[in-house]
Amino acid sequence: MIKILLRSILIILSAASFVFALDHDPNGRLIMSLGGEISVINPILSTDTTSSAIEGVIFTGLVKVDKNLNFIPDLAKSWTISKSGRVWTFKLRRDVTWHDGEPFTAEDVKFTFDTILNKKVNSVRRGDYIIDGEPIVFKVVDRHTIKAILPKPFSPFLTSASMGILPKHILEGKELDMSDFNRRPVGTGPFKFVQYKAGDHVLVKRDPDHYGGAPKLKEILFKIIPDENTALVALRSGDIDETGIPPKDFHPIKHVNLYEYDALLYTYLGFNLKSPKFSDVRVRQALSYAVNRKQLIGLVLRGLATPAYSPCSPVSWAYSDDVFKYEYDPKKAKALLKEAGVKKLEFTVLVNHGSKEREKAATILQQQFEKIGVKMNIRVLEWSALLKVINARKTPKDFDAVIIGWSTGVDPDSYSIWHSSQYPAGLNFIGYDNPKVDRLLDAGRREQYKSDRKEIYAAMYKEITKDAPYVFLWYPKVLAGVRDRVGGLSEPGPTGLFLNIEEVYIKK
Amino acid sequence: MEVGTTPKTKPNFKPASTPKLIFPDRRFMRRYIVRRLIQLIPLLIGISLITFFVMHMAPGDPTSLFTDPNIKPEELARIRVNWGLDKPVIVQYFIWLKNAAVLNFGYSYISGKPVIEEIFERLPATLLLMTVSFFLILLISIPVGVISAVRKGSLFDNLFTVLSFVFMSIPSFWLALIFMMVFSLKLEWFPPFGNIILPCAVMVISGLAGITRYQRASMLEVLGQEYIKVARAKGLPENIVIFKHALRNSLIPIVTLLGLSLPDLFGGAFIIETIFAWPGMGRLGVSAVFSRNYPVIMGITVLTALLIVIGNLLADIGYAIVDPRIRYAEKK
Repeated sequence: MIKILLRSILIILSAASFVFALDHDPNGRLIMSLGGEISVINPILSTDTTSSAIEGVIFTGLVKVDKNLNFIPDLAKSWTISKSGRVWTFKLRRDVTWHDGEPFTAEDVKFTFDTILNKKVNSVRRGDYIIDGEPIVFKVVDRHTIKAILPKPFSPFLTSASMGILPKHILEGKELDMSDFNRRPVGTGPFKFVQYKAGDHVLVKRDPDHYGGAPKLKEILFKIIPDENTALVALRSGDIDETGIPPKDFHPIKHVNLYEYDALLYTYLGFNLKSPKFSDVRVRQALSYAVNRKQLIGLVLRGLATPAYSPCSPVSWAYSDDVFKYEYDPKKAKALLKEAGVKKLEFTVLVNHGSKEREKAATILQQQFEKIGVKMNIRVLEWSALLKVINARKTPKDFDAVIIGWSTGVDPDSYSIWHSSQYPAGLNFIGYDNPKVDRLLDAGRREQYKSDRKEIYAAMYKEITKDAPYVFLWYPKVLAGVRDRVGGLSEPGPTGLFLNIEEVYIKK
Repeated sequence: MEVGTTPKTKPNFKPASTPKLIFPDRRFMRRYIVRRLIQLIPLLIGISLITFFVMHMAPGDPTSLFTDPNIKPEELARIRVNWGLDKPVIVQYFIWLKNAAVLNFGYSYISGKPVIEEIFERLPATLLLMTVSFFLILLISIPVGVISAVRKGSLFDNLFTVLSFVFMSIPSFWLALIFMMVFSLKLEWFPPFGNIILPCAVMVISGLAGITRYQRASMLEVLGQEYIKVARAKGLPENIVIFKHALRNSLIPIVTLLGLSLPDLFGGAFIIETIFAWPGMGRLGVSAVFSRNYPVIMGITVLTALLIVIGNLLADIGYAIVDPRIRYAEKK
C-alpha cells in the first residue's frame, strides 16, 4: 500500500517537474548589449555604467535594492543601528561561497572597505566612506558579523553598504589597480565569469551554488555595440536580446516588447549664480516661466519624458509635489524681467557634443527665450572640455549657463550638488549658497527615519525651487526593447528590467 | 642581355626587360637600412615630445571623466597625484621617456592593463580586417586599372571611371549603415556584427577608387614610353608587351603606396569598427583620446610612428629592388 502511494507520489512529482521544466530553456543564453567600452570589472574601481552592468551579476553587496528602491538583505541577512546612529551591525549569511569555492566571511567585507579607503588605490568611492574628513571604521566581530563605526550618524551609508564585495583570499597584498583580477573577476553573484575579449564581449555563466538559488539562465553574453543604429538592427534581427532605444526609433518592432519607464534622472539648464547676469532671482524665474516644457519634450523627445519642476525624480520616495512650479507663462516672464530692470539679456549656454537631444533642446530654448526678448547663444563643447569649464577650481567660473543632467543615486541625499561647501571644487558648480538648504542637507544626512527625512527633503525642494537656480527641464523616460523570447523580467522602473537577474529566462 | 648599372639621363630603352629582379649590393643595403633605423631614434623622440605636450594641452584630464555626482573632488585630486599628473609636464615626459626606452609603456588609466597588452589584444582583429580588405582592393584595382589604361576611352574605362568617383564620394559610414540595413536587416544574409564580410566590403568599396586611379595613371604613363613603342615595333605580341614589360614597371608606384599604407594596416578604421562593433585599434585610439588615457595615446603614437618609418623604408627598399635604375648612391 505504502509502496503504491510512494510510487504514485513519485510519478506525480516527476510529471509536475516535467511540466514546470517546460517553460524555460535550461540552456538559455541571454545576449545583452553594452553601449561603450568596459573599463574594469571591479565595483570599487569602475565608474562607468557599462562595467557596472557586468559587475551587477558577478558581485553582490551587503544589501541590494528592490523594485521600490528599498534596501533589502543580500550578503547581510539583517542589520541593526545603535541608538546613537553611529554603529551599524551587519549579520552575514553563512551559506555563501566565492565562485572559486572558498567561503565568504566578514574578513572579505572588511578587506573590501579598507581597500577602498586605502589612499594608494585609485577608488573614487573612497569619499563615500569618509564623513566630514573622518573615515568609517570597519570591525570584524566574528566570521559572520561585521560592524561599521561611523564618525557621526549618516543615513546615506546604506547606499555605500551596497558596494560589491571583493575576495580577500585572492586580492590581499596585490596592487588592485593593475591586477589581472579586473579582467578575470571572482565574486559572490549569481553568475560566474567565463571570458573577456577586449573591446568585444564578456561571457558569464550560471553559478549553480549561488546562495539566492541557481539562476534560470545558463549564460549571459554582454556584447559591446558602440553604435546605437547597429544595436537596433541587431535587436530586430535577434542577434541581441535587449537594448536601449532612442526616442525617434521607439515604435513597434516584430518579436520585441517595448518598455517605457521612469528613472532617477533629470535634465536641466543651470545658471552660473556668480555671474551678474543671473544674480537676480527674478531673472532666473523669468527664464523658467519662459520655457514651454510640453513643446520642448514633444519636439525633442517625441513626448517620451515628463516635465520637471523639482530636483527630485517622481520615482524617489523623497519626491514632493509641493514646490514652486514655473509653468509656462511668457507674460509673467516678461513682467518679471521688467521688474528686475532687465531690458536686454544675452548669454551663452554650453551643451556637450554627443547628446543630440540636448543640442536640439538648446535650439528650441533659444527660440522660446527669444519670445521674451532674451538672446541665448549656443556653444557645443566636447564632453571633457565642458567638464573642465564647469569643474574649474576658480570663481567665478567661465560659463553663463549649461544644459546638462543628473543621474541621482538611490538615496535622495544631494549634498554634493546643493551644499555651499561644494563650490568651487565640487558638483555645486553653479555656486548655490543657501544656509537654510545647507542646514536641511545636514539634517537629512543625520536623521534615520524615512518619514523624518522625507519632510526635510520636501522643505528643501521647496526652498531650492523658490530660488530657481536651475531651469528644471524634463525627467527622461528610459526606453528599452527586449525580445519576446525573454521572460522573467522585473517590473519596469528605476531599477531596470533585469533587477532580479536570477529570475530571467529564455522561453522555449 | 646587358643590365645597365649607371643611371642614364634619359634612357631610350628599358634595360629591365628581363623578368629578373636585380637585388642591390648586399653590403650597401645593410648600411643603408642601419642608417635609416638609427635615424628612427631622434624621430621617435621628436614625435613623442610633440604628442605628449599637445596631449596635455587638451582641456580636461583623465579624472574629469568621472562625473558621478557622488564622487568627491578630493578623491579626483588624489588619483591625479597617484598617476603623477601633478608634476610639471616636462618632468612627466622624461619619466615616460625613461620607461619607454626600456619598452615599458605604462598602464592604461581605464583598464589598468599594460599598454602593450592593451594594444596587442586589439591588433589581431584590426590586422585581419585591414589585410583582407587591402588584399581584395589590390586584387580588384590592379586589373581594373590596367584594363582601363589599355582600353582607354572604352565603355569599360568610362564606366569604371564613373564608378571610381562614385565610390570615392560615398561616405563610408553611410555605406556601412546601408549595407547593414540591406544585408543584415532586410535580407538577413549576415549578422550586424561578428562577421567580417560586411565591414570588409565597405572598406574595399571605399578604398578601391584610389588605387585603381593610381594604377590606371601609372599604366598610361608606362604605355606612353619609348621602349613600349620599340617592343611593339619589334613585333612582340601585345599581351607580352603589356603583361611582361609594361605591367611590371607600372607597379613601381603601387609598391611605394603599399609601403606607405603600413600604418593603416595597424591603425584600423574607427567609423567602420564602431558601426560593425569590430574590436579594433581604431576604436581603441579614439576612445583613448576622448578619455584622455595618456599612456595608451602615447603607446599608439609611438607604434604608428614606428610603422610609418618602417613602411617608408620598406617602400624605398622595394622600390630599389623593383627598379634597378634606382640606387641610393653613397658619396665616396
